[in-house]
Parts: sequence; structure tokens; C-alpha cells
Amino acid sequence: MLPDATETRPIEGVGAFVLRLRGLILKELRQTFRDKRMIGLLMIAPMIQLLVLGHAVNLDVDHVPTLLADEDRTAESRAYLDGLTAGDAFRRVGVVDSAQVALSEVSAGRVPLAVVVPRGFAADLGAQRPTRVQVLVDGGDSNRAIVAQNAVATYTLRRSQALIAARGLPAGAALAPVRIETRVFYNPSMNSRIYFVPGVAATLLLVVTLVVTAMGLAREKESGTLEQILVTPLGGATLFLGKTLPYALIGLIDLGLVLGVGTWVFSVPLRGPLGVVFFAGGLYLMTLLGVGLLIGALARTQQQALVAAFFLIMPAILLSGFATPVENMPTWLEPVTRLNPVRPFVEVMRGVLLRGAGARDLAPQLVTLAGMGLVVFSGAAAVLRRRLG
Amino acid sequence: MSDVLTSSPALEARGLVRRFGRTVAVSDLSLSIAPGELYGLVGPDGAGKTTALRLLVGLLTPDGGEARVAGAVSHAAGGALRASLGYMPQQYSLYGDLSIDENLRFFGDLFGLSSTNFRERVAHLLGITQLTRFRDRRADALSGGMYKKLALACALLHRPRALVLDEPTNGVDPVSRRELWELLYTLVDEGLAVLLATPYMDEAARCHRVGLLQGGRLIAEDAPAALVRAFEDLAYFVTAADRDAAEAALHDLPGVRALSPHGPGLRVIVAAADAEAFRRRFASADMRWHLEPTAPDFEDVFLMRSIDAE
Ligand SMILES: Nc1ncnc2c1ncn2[C@@H]1O[C@H](COP(=O)(O)OP(=O)(O)O)[C@@H](O)[C@H]1O
Ligand SMILES: [Mg+2]
Repeated sequence: MLPDATETRPIEGVGAFVLRLRGLILKELRQTFRDKRMIGLLMIAPMIQLLVLGHAVNLDVDHVPTLLADEDRTAESRAYLDGLTAGDAFRRVGVVDSAQVALSEVSAGRVPLAVVVPRGFAADLGAQRPTRVQVLVDGGDSNRAIVAQNAVATYTLRRSQALIAARGLPAGAALAPVRIETRVFYNPSMNSRIYFVPGVAATLLLVVTLVVTAMGLAREKESGTLEQILVTPLGGATLFLGKTLPYALIGLIDLGLVLGVGTWVFSVPLRGPLGVVFFAGGLYLMTLLGVGLLIGALARTQQQALVAAFFLIMPAILLSGFATPVENMPTWLEPVTRLNPVRPFVEVMRGVLLRGAGARDLAPQLVTLAGMGLVVFSGAAAVLRRRLG
Repeated sequence: MSDVLTSSPALEARGLVRRFGRTVAVSDLSLSIAPGELYGLVGPDGAGKTTALRLLVGLLTPDGGEARVAGAVSHAAGGALRASLGYMPQQYSLYGDLSIDENLRFFGDLFGLSSTNFRERVAHLLGITQLTRFRDRRADALSGGMYKKLALACALLHRPRALVLDEPTNGVDPVSRRELWELLYTLVDEGLAVLLATPYMDEAARCHRVGLLQGGRLIAEDAPAALVRAFEDLAYFVTAADRDAAEAALHDLPGVRALSPHGPGLRVIVAAADAEAFRRRFASADMRWHLEPTAPDFEDVFLMRSIDAE
């Protein structure tokens, strides 16, 4: 047997901290990049999802087949309907002379949209009385229905304004809601994909980082390796950092990839400073990784961790305002949506990318993200130390 | 500080108690292991061995009593304590998807070894465990014996003063098992304190000292030979092909305290005071089996101590 003459004097202080952290990070990255499924989950799945979702979810109104019902049969009603179908949004499939016919066509599902100009339209306008136009929509495709309805409303609003202006009258009270206008303002071509990509990026980061950190810690428990780590002189803080930094790095890389795909494939503009997006991304990741580790620390098995992660992910996505506007949710949910880190991050991304906003404009969102990040991150560190230390 | 360390036992438990719900896994356990001593904690599954070891290394907080490593309280363990302790859990605890080298590298970093120091230690440990040739092999592709040797190497990287092993030969082939034991003896000769848990009596008999654990209690503790010497009953061996019939017939003879199947027959433990009566009845009862006295062994000791304890 070989003589054992080596003298072992462990490094201490900052040197040891750096050494341990390096060891943990290298190990974590090695394991991740050796596991094909992990690479798929972390790098490839987000790209594919972005491409698929980006193409599948189409909120644009584009050549919607539209039946026109002209009961008034005047020059005014014809001008109104011609103007409606002049653009790309609506495609005229026919003109009928009764609302009854239009209604039966839409209810039978033969046409998704009908616009009815009732008798008396021209007379009302001439007498400067408020008048009505009826929109019949097949609600089966609810997104399309809402957007088509909004588009008709927007067109109508523009026309009324033109009429008012032509008569030299001050703007009336019967204007359509302002919110349509804001939306159109930042996305003038009504291209919903541009609006959609930031939301997808935020939710992809959410899914990837939360699941991976939660499962990672649970796996160490399940496979017994945590037991071995915990009898080394490793401190709780070092373990915490070692378990989050590698995934923060991967998360930021993912963010870059998603933004890249967004610009190349979906022509998302990059109007503002990218640094702000990545800074916000870092803060956002602090919250996600903290929650991930919290789940990992409390779960006994990887299975439990996965279930718990999705239990949080689903409402986080639904309540983020990324697909359904937060304004449309019940008021009692309002406080819940404020605890959701997805919401401010989506707002930052939309602000920077679409509007060219900078850190100053987005200060409220950045402060919210930083606050959440610090609270969750330090809370998770404390729990981890208590549960495992 | 070194005075305190050298004068105190390497590992020590004082009145340790640990419950899980209603189960009392460890109850009033006290023991003390000196540098250079090989101590075996023996007991059947569920006796509380793993719990006792986890309390000692500071992975569990005791409900009562205190565990110490080199004089420092285990569950309040700081880095200094852990730097002097090596622990090998019962179940797999290394990274299966990392190679031998990568596992060692990782634990070397956690223990804060400089790269020179690390290289020397790894060369030495891979040498004595004969794993040098397999350095690049993934841990989950190792045989049971090689895996345990790697786990041992990882636990020894930082030259601990005390080594705690939970069933180190579980799932290990006989050859590797012998090699592991030789390795342990060498380490102990170099002054390491070793505490190992095992359900195997033959392994316990090879320790300097053993503690018999049952239902969380230490029911006896001494050198194996001393425990055998203090054995007060007599042991017999009955050769019987039809063991069940023999067992039924012998069960009610005077002085019979325990019967256990063994090789081609039965081992019978008889109270010394009733030995005469037992032999007379065996002869007169026209038994067709062959009876001969045999030397009591460590297994007999454990069996009888357990019965006495209940
Ligand atoms: N984490 C735990 N939770 C609940 N019960 C436990 C736990 N660990 C051990 N026990 C119980 O404590 C007793 C002793 O177990 P253990 O220490 O594993 O014994 P051994 O290692 O000797 O087989 C058993 O009854 C076991 O079920
Ligand atoms: Mg055990």
C-alpha cells in the first residue's frame, strides 16, 4: 500500500467560498449539459414553443369574410359600408337588404361577421341625432370576434370624427371607448404577434427556470446526494448561490435567444435599450429562482416539485395580463395579479421593445421586480438554511 | 484548540434521543470512540443505526442529549467540525452522471482543497482503492464494490479525523468486501476513528469494539471477544435434515432458550444451569438427530442479548 504522506490544509475564507461556488456551478452545468433532456427543456423547447405559439396565436383581423346588410339604401349607408371593406381587415362576401337575412347567415355559421346599417341611418345623421350600426359576430372564435368587433368600432369612431369635423362641430360625447385607441397606437398595423412575443418570452422563462431549479434540488434529495453535500463545510448561502447562478445564466441566455427569434422571425422591433430588458430579466429571474428553490426545499420528491411548480405556473400565466387584459378580470383578483412577477416583466418588455421606453419610464415596474426579487430570494435563502442547514 | 481536540474523543454521543412521530428511533444512546479505534454499531434493520449515525454527523437534531465530533456539538456544526469528519451514507449519495474524477473534483472543491493538495490526495486515494484505471467512468456504471470505494475516497479526500460509515459493505461482492476491510484497518492504524453500522455479525466481530443496538437502545457494548467470553449459556449444534421436525421436538426440552436454523441443522442455546437436564432428556427422548456442543459465537451473543433485553 502506498504511504500517505500528504498534509491537508484546506483553504479558508474568501478563497474557499470562491472554490466551493466554482465547484457547485461547474457541477451543475456539467450535469445539465450532459443530460439531453435538460438541453431540450432549457434551450430547444423555448424556441420551438415561441415559433409554434407565435404562429398559432393570431389575434389579427385579416380579410375577415363579412356580410353587409344595408336596410337604409342611401348614399350615406353605402359610403359607410364601402369604407369598411376598403381596407385589408374585412372582405365583402355579399350585400343583402335585411337584418333578418344577415342574422340567419351568422347563426348558421355560414359567415363569421355581419354589419347591419338600419333604416333611418342617413335621416338620423342629417338630423344630427345619434344613430346605430349593428355588428353580428360568430363568437366561436372569441379572439377574432373581439378583435373584429373592435375593428368595426374603431372604423366607426374614425368615421364619426370625420363627419363631426366636416360639419365643423366640436367633438361629441358619443365617441367609442378610448382603450381601443391606445392599443392601436402602439401597434398601428394591428400585428398581434409583436404584442404577443414579450408575453411568450416571460412565460417561457417562468416555466423553464422554475421547473429546473425546483426539480434540481428535489433530485439531490431523492438521490441522496444532498445528504453528502450537507456534511461538507459548505455554507447555506454558498449552496443557494451555486444552485441559482447557473440557471440565472441559462435564463438570460434563453431571454437573448427568444428576443433573437422574436426579431428575426416575427419582426418584433427593438426600439428601446436592451440593457433594461436584461436588467429586468435578472430581477425577474431572482424571483423565479427563489420560488423554484423554495419548492425544491419543501418537496420530498421530484414528482412533488413538478406538481407544485405547475400549480404556481398556471395562475401566474393566466393572471399576468399576457393573453387576457388584467382590466377584464374580476376585481377581487386585482391584489393577486399585483403579486405576479410576470406582469411587470411583460410590461417592461413591451415598453422597451414596442414603445422605446427607457429605465426612467419603467421605473415603477423595475422597482416592483426588484422588490419581489429581493424578498423572495432572501426568504428562500432563509428557508433553505432552516430546512437543510 | 488542539489540546481540546486531542484530549476529547473523536466521536461521542451522550444520552441521544430522537423520535419520528411516535417512533422512538434512538433512545438514550451514549457511546464514545477514540482516535485509532474501529467501532461497530450492530443491529437488525430498523434498530436505529442510521438515525444514530445521522445524529452524530449533525444531519439530524437530537430531541435529547448531545452528539459531538472532536469535542464540538454536531448539530450546531460549523465548517471546522465538518472539515474533520467523513461520512458515507447508507444509500447512493454520489452523482451517477458524473465520472469518478468529476465526483472527486466536486467534493474536493467543497472541502476547499488547493489544486496541488487535491492532486496528491486523489492520486493516493485512487491508488489505495485501485480505481485509477476507471477515473473517467461514470459513477452509475461502477460495480457495487467500486462505487463504495469511490464513496470512501470522497469521504477521505480532506483527511478527516473521524469516519462514519453506514453499512459500507451493503451490495458489495466478497472480494471487494475484503479489500474494503483491509483499507479500513490501514486507516485505523493511521489514527483515524471509524464508526460503522452493520447488520452483519461477522463484520461486527472484526471491530475493536461493538455496540449492540436494538429498538434504538444500546443493549451491550464491549470488544467482540469479551462479549463472547461473558456469554453464560451453552451452545449446541443439532444435525437435522428435517429441521422443522427437529425444531418442534426440541422446542419444549428443558433449558432451551433459543433455536435457530444454521447450515445443515439447528443451533440450540441452552441455559447453563439446565444443561444436564437438557442432555439427559435429549438422550432419553429417543431423538434421531445428532447433538454436539459447539463454541458460542458472536451471533449467539447478539441473539441472547436481544432476547434478554426484551
Ligand atoms: N425520516 C424518518 N421518518 C420517519 N421515521 C423514520 C425516519 N428515519 C427512520 N425512521 C424510523 O426510525 C426507526 C429506525 O430507523 P433507522 O435508523 O433507519 O434504522 P436502521 O438504520 O438500523 O435500519 C425505524 O422504525 C424507522 O422507520
Ligand atoms: Mg440503516
